[in-house]
Amino acid sequence: MRVWSRVRSWARAILRRGRMESEMDAELRFHIEAFIEDLVRNGVPQQEAMRRARMEFGGIEQTKEECRDARRVNVIESLVQDVCYGLRTLRKSPGFTAVVLLTLALGIGANTAIFTLIHAVMLTPLPVANPEQLYRLGDNNNCCVMDGTQNGGSFVLYSYPLYEYLRDHTPEFTGLAAFGSHLSDLSVRRHGDSAPAQPYKGEFVSGNYFEMFGIGAFAGRTLTAKDDTAGALPVAVMSYHTWQTHFGCDPLVIGAPFAINTVAYTVVGVAPPRFYGDTLRSDPPDFWLPLAADPDRWLYRSRPEWLYLIGRLRPDVASEQVQARLTVELQEWLDSHREVIPERDWKDIARQYVRLTPGGRGVEQMQTNYAKGLHLLVTLSALLMLIACANIANLLLARGSANRAQTAVRLALGAPRSRVIQQMLTENVLLALVGGAAGLYVAYAGTHVILLVAFRGTHYIPIDARPSVAVLGFVLVLSVATGIVFSIAPAWMTSQSNPADVLRGAGRSTGDRSSVVQKSLVIVQVAFSIVLLIGAGLVTQSLRNLEYQHFGFVTEGRLIVNIAPSLAGYTPDKLGGLYQRLEDRMPQIPGVLSASLSWYSPLGGNNANERVYIEGKLPDYRWTAPSWDRVGPHYFETIGTRLLRGRVIDEHDTPAARHVAVINETFARRFFPNEDPIGQHLGTGDVSHSGDYEIVGIVEDAKYQDTRGPAYATFFLPLLQAPPGEPVRGWVGAIELHVAGKPENLDLTVRKTLADVDPNLTVLNMVSFGEQVARNFNQERLIARLTELFGLLALILACVGLYGVTAYTVARRTNEIGIRMALGADRRKVLTLVLRAALAQLGLGLAVGIPAALAGGRVLARQLYGVKSHDPMILGVAAVVLVACAILAASVPARRAMRVDPIVALRHE
Amino acid sequence: MDKQLELLQGTLDMLILKAVSLGPLHGYGILLRIQQISKDRLEIQQGSLYPALYRLEHQGWITSEWGESENKRRAKYYRLTTAGKRRLQTEAAKWNRMADVIAGILGAAPEEV
Repeated sequence: MRVWSRVRSWARAILRRGRMESEMDAELRFHIEAFIEDLVRNGVPQQEAMRRARMEFGGIEQTKEECRDARRVNVIESLVQDVCYGLRTLRKSPGFTAVVLLTLALGIGANTAIFTLIHAVMLTPLPVANPEQLYRLGDNNNCCVMDGTQNGGSFVLYSYPLYEYLRDHTPEFTGLAAFGSHLSDLSVRRHGDSAPAQPYKGEFVSGNYFEMFGIGAFAGRTLTAKDDTAGALPVAVMSYHTWQTHFGCDPLVIGAPFAINTVAYTVVGVAPPRFYGDTLRSDPPDFWLPLAADPDRWLYRSRPEWLYLIGRLRPDVASEQVQARLTVELQEWLDSHREVIPERDWKDIARQYVRLTPGGRGVEQMQTNYAKGLHLLVTLSALLMLIACANIANLLLARGSANRAQTAVRLALGAPRSRVIQQMLTENVLLALVGGAAGLYVAYAGTHVILLVAFRGTHYIPIDARPSVAVLGFVLVLSVATGIVFSIAPAWMTSQSNPADVLRGAGRSTGDRSSVVQKSLVIVQVAFSIVLLIGAGLVTQSLRNLEYQHFGFVTEGRLIVNIAPSLAGYTPDKLGGLYQRLEDRMPQIPGVLSASLSWYSPLGGNNANERVYIEGKLPDYRWTAPSWDRVGPHYFETIGTRLLRGRVIDEHDTPAARHVAVINETFARRFFPNEDPIGQHLGTGDVSHSGDYEIVGIVEDAKYQDTRGPAYATFFLPLLQAPPGEPVRGWVGAIELHVAGKPENLDLTVRKTLADVDPNLTVLNMVSFGEQVARNFNQERLIARLTELFGLLALILACVGLYGVTAYTVARRTNEIGIRMALGADRRKVLTLVLRAALAQLGLGLAVGIPAALAGGRVLARQLYGVKSHDPMILGVAAVVLVACAILAASVPARRAMRVDPIVALRHE
Repeated sequence: MDKQLELLQGTLDMLILKAVSLGPLHGYGILLRIQQISKDRLEIQQGSLYPALYRLEHQGWITSEWGESENKRRAKYYRLTTAGKRRLQTEAAKWNRMADVIAGILGAAPEEV
């Protein structure tokens, strides 16, 4: 009750301040008037009574203030006062305010942009019901198709029958769904559309997929178990984003017939707006299709393993138990399906296991890929924030020194130190909050740009750049924290200052505490800046090394066109005709110097490997299976890979001719260390095939998948050669064109030519070879660009800091400089005097920063390519740039000191 | 602000509580009542009365309402609350104990020590 009365009186005091004030007034007046009346009644004359009443009552205003204090109104009131005062002072020094706000906006903006990404990528769960109940069967992101036992025994990829077995024997899951481990290209045409089929991304999912996630349809219906049975009518669910951007939210889409890969489908519904599937990735699926509709017809086969599984656990069971049970089930199933495992791996069955991992964020592909980079960026942006704080603290100190007299007067007049510090803190937090608001805008724009750089070459990324509630909270906390952090130094100075000293004029002395703090802050700034600059140098050099390395092919003037004949309804017997037409028509396009076909092109995200058997040699299982590709005539010439020995694959290598293979250098070195590979034979499948292909040539190594490591051992086969009776695997998916002029200019002509060859042949993708390669370095580029930006900002801030401190010192020492000059010091000596101090700070900063950068570089070393973390060149360049900029910044005030007129200076107060 | 004053305030608070415990009073009335009971032996700084009243009200020991004074004017009357009554009792008991102890100490003869 007492608490309540206190709150009430407090609330009343604040809410009805006007009324309280007038009541207080009336009450006190009543007292004085009653007293006067009493005095008059006792015979005191009116005038005298009034005088005495006033005297005996004491100071009325003071009493009022004490009454207000008694109700604790002052806490709020002084805050309001401080805010108003703060706003006023900020308005009065627009230059200072602008610099501080800009610094804050950049600092907070950079940190918020990074946080927005972290929040969206690392922290936000899938937009599904109760994501915490979801568990994934597997602990890595191995892709995409496997056979038999799996890497290290941890199962992540499952065949359909194995999935069914686990689903039906594990009642602890209220639902267990399966989906393809990678998206499939689709060629989609709405029934009745005259335009050619368009490329889309599709995901094959089990019928219970949406039900397991607890996702209803936005319109129409989702997939059901019935849709996912053999013989069911083909149906598909469209993503909201696709519905919106490609079909203008047309309600008629639902229930409409579509030709997907030339098969008639019905789109039965649209998924909810925020749902992007089971994996956060760029270009998420446009369509979800039942597993039963999978064109590879893997559904009822016990091999290969190609599905990821996610299930919803019953809330009352422990995941460890289920994990143990799943492992038993897996081993049982493998044991009874030994035919899917090569005999030599049978001994490993008992070592296969299932690890349940939290699946609330789905398959954490992007999370895994970006974790390191994001951590690096967090560190860098935090460093930048600290530099910004140091800079602002410095500016505040300089301003605080200018206001020293004022503060001293306030303290001398009896203002408590706590009150002065509170006022300063309020002002600074206010500043930080305004800066935070500006930072929010910077962050929004920044996140946009970051997404563009990070996901170059994608059409859609399901990450929202708009600040979420969490981001707003982050900015608020960061702003207040920043305000407090950069207030520490000035507040400490105030708490230490002695008003008597200031008022006596001690401000004329050459050295004082505040300049020590300021100089230390500059040293810290220089140290952090050199760390950031060296970091920027390292990642930039690393990116350059990656992008301009010798790949084993030439990207200039090359265009890559991705197609998929299977989506256009081609059957194996029609492939030869299609390839022939393409090989005839493509080189005839004006501007095309040469053209070729292949299964896939280098660094386009595709890679296939296959165990190989060499005639006359024992199979060697120590090596990972070599990569292989199918290529047509002129392939190596078109992409610029040099032939080293023998011949390349040409027009004569038809299915009917002798079967041949071309290998790369690494393949030759690995499998034929001491002999001539030309004329040797190899094959795939098993030892009986080891005589299938004769090696006719060796080409230089080229990187097809991994840009950092050495090229994989690779063999190349002609487009259509396969052992008798076996279907041709590896249909043409890429057309390479060597062109004169800019590759992009040919876009329309190429599309037209392809449409002439076959209007159903959808162009899935068309980019210059350079762009295709560049997209492999999106993450490295993002980190490099951001680090460069941060480094540049840090450099500017450090220079501003050094300039500020030097200018401030010069201003304070004008008097002293005047005396020195009057006593015979020449201008050079004055210049040295001022610059020496600046150089000392610079030197100390470098002395601290460079070892720190070396230590930090070791952490970075594993992410660098072709550059040592202690690269002396980069260290040197960073130091020289920083020193040059800093000297430039310090020399402006130093020159001003040089021009000091002794007469004026001596009069200077 | 300093310690001496706080002690004084503490006593004033008790006196005010006692004064209003005898019936609702306005600020000036409280002053007169204390002077009257103490037979004018206590000098009270008039201005210090009001911060004490506001503090006591804020703490919930007394409440106030506007009423009409003896000379037909609007005045703010203070009244003791139930919590205030308890407070007065404990304060008075504490004060009496303290007075006893102090008196005992001051009255001690040399041989007793």
